[in-house]
Amino acid sequence: MSIREKLLDFKRRLSDRKMYSIVIVVIALVASWGIYQYKHAADLRQELDNQYNRAFYDMAGYVNNVEVLLIKSLISSSPTRTAATLQEAWRQANLAQTNLGQLPVSQQVLANTSKFLTQVGDLAYSINHQSMEGKKLTEEQYQLIEKLHGYSVSLRQSLNDLQNQLSSGRLKWGELAKKGTKLFQKTSSQMPNQQFENIDKTFQDYPTLIYDGPFSDHLTSIEPKGLTGDNVSSEQAKQSVINFFGKDKVEAVTDIGKDDSSIIKTYSFSVKFKNAPKEQEAKIDVTQKGGHILWMLYNRPVNEEKINMDQAKELGRKFLEQHGYKNMVDTYYLKEDGTAVINYAYKQNDVVVYPDLIKVKVALDNGEIVGFESKGYLSSHCERNIPTPKLTMEEARALITSRMEILSSGLAIIPTDYKTELFTYEFKGKLNDRDFLVYINAETGKEEKILLIIDTPNGILTM
Amino acid sequence: MKVIKVLAILVIVFSIAISLIFDGQVFIAPIAEKLAPGMESEDVMKVQQRLKNWGYYDGSVSGKYDLKTYLAVMDFQRVYGLPVNGITAKDTLEAMGLTTYAQSGAAMAAASKVSDEQLLARAINGEARGEVYEGQVAVGAVILNRTKDPRFPKTIAGVIYQPGAFTAVSDGQINVPLDPNSTVVKAARDALNGWDPTNGCLYYWNPATATSKWIWSRKIVKKIGKHYFGI
Repeated sequence: MSIREKLLDFKRRLSDRKMYSIVIVVIALVASWGIYQYKHAADLRQELDNQYNRAFYDMAGYVNNVEVLLIKSLISSSPTRTAATLQEAWRQANLAQTNLGQLPVSQQVLANTSKFLTQVGDLAYSINHQSMEGKKLTEEQYQLIEKLHGYSVSLRQSLNDLQNQLSSGRLKWGELAKKGTKLFQKTSSQMPNQQFENIDKTFQDYPTLIYDGPFSDHLTSIEPKGLTGDNVSSEQAKQSVINFFGKDKVEAVTDIGKDDSSIIKTYSFSVKFKNAPKEQEAKIDVTQKGGHILWMLYNRPVNEEKINMDQAKELGRKFLEQHGYKNMVDTYYLKEDGTAVINYAYKQNDVVVYPDLIKVKVALDNGEIVGFESKGYLSSHCERNIPTPKLTMEEARALITSRMEILSSGLAIIPTDYKTELFTYEFKGKLNDRDFLVYINAETGKEEKILLIIDTPNGILTM
Repeated sequence: MKVIKVLAILVIVFSIAISLIFDGQVFIAPIAEKLAPGMESEDVMKVQQRLKNWGYYDGSVSGKYDLKTYLAVMDFQRVYGLPVNGITAKDTLEAMGLTTYAQSGAAMAAASKVSDEQLLARAINGEARGEVYEGQVAVGAVILNRTKDPRFPKTIAGVIYQPGAFTAVSDGQINVPLDPNSTVVKAARDALNGWDPTNGCLYYWNPATATSKWIWSRKIVKKIGKHYFGI
């Protein structure tokens, strides 16, 4: 039967009345199902739209507040008043950033706006700390705030423009989020992207701002202090890898590339072991300068635990000593997946130097080292010039609330948010059945930090 | 017509019966040290809810410790390296962040650590479950590096759910249940403990499937498995 005949046959059958009604019912069902689905999708799209709008309006509001607070902080003359204003600016900048992260605009377009908000926040935070100690703004800081205020004004204006377009209905978020449709890509989606891009461009000249905030650019590019020695060749680095695991264990070391763009430049290797299945490989990065091991990961199944934590700590310490990391003491640990991740810190004349940190992962079945991470150590390790403390232990202890029962004490160097270091007394104590660590500056007596210690069956965490 | 009437009556009777059965359920709330198959309590509901949130359990949160719950608990125990017995005793409850003793600081901290771990593990699962192990750690490390970078949101959830940031979030791959034998939870833990195979990268893409032209303007730092990692 040809197609034409088939069609005619179908038509004849349809002319039977029963068939007509069945076809109509089916069509009606399909149509109503379609309408329902369409409405449902429209509702969801509207809901999403509303959320984007909320995030956007909230963000615009917070940016407004940041702008106002920055200018206010320039006017107030008392340090405490400045501190209070800047603290609020910090809070508002954080809220603005949270909302910014929810907008359906691609990240690269928003990167610098986000960075600006973070830096306003960080600057406010660090000046706030200084103001709380009663210090006034320096001329430089004054100018810096003024500059940031200038940016916040132009950001605010651009956001207001965009807000007008959104509220007049010329733009819709949902259309933006749905990138697949070419039509939208050509028309409306281009507009807001450009809008945001314009905002971004106005900030492109600022990321080199210098201030002591945790995210500041110049600090992230600091020369790693512990990266000693001359540049090594890939072949020499391979030798370091073999020494790291031990000649008798290594079957083969394969060069899998190098990284020339990070601050700590590396060679990467994969390592096969004797007495281990072929697909079980360890991966390891060796620094190009000095041939230090930056990190190592060896993922293998761990059998029944036969080693306790004390033995594991001792194994890790011995391993470090054998590989030239002297005077390392274990501080905290975490037991997971049949392995123990143990933190080791450098100890110089009875002072624990927390920034010089190496993490060692010990398999609890046979004590093998299955992980190693020394970024902290390589970034900050050096022989410190440790002064004699200006306060005695007793004087420092007297500064802590008498309600806290002191369990142990010692000297320690701790890192700050600003990538500097502080020389402190470390007191471990109990209050209301909770364990705390309190750090008192050994030179000024200032209480620098309080950590809550959480003792879980799997290890000790701090908060 | 008769047939239709009978059918209608049957449907009504059924629905009444079903609603009676469900309404008749009484939840007793004992202070449970241990939950085992056959038990029925609000604590079981809590366990089911967690297992469901994390994708181990796809049944209803009924409060009944049935076969499905039992199997889901076993899957969870396998992933978490606990003795696999299907019984929710103290160690399993703690691993879920549910504790028998009142919410102590330790339990709360453990719970928040577990939820970070789970979210990160799910993101890795959605983005790189077929990748080599250090490729999985690397994806986790990129997410954590973003939380520390001023240009990105500051929390793990903020980074992962940033619109358009990860394809696994956009297409729902992030909700794919974790395979108990998968290494993604282990990889998430390594990343959280500070291992960073990318040495500080903020982006990654698969050169075979990347659709964005912009991503190629990033500087390639490393290639791990199928992904390029860049800054």
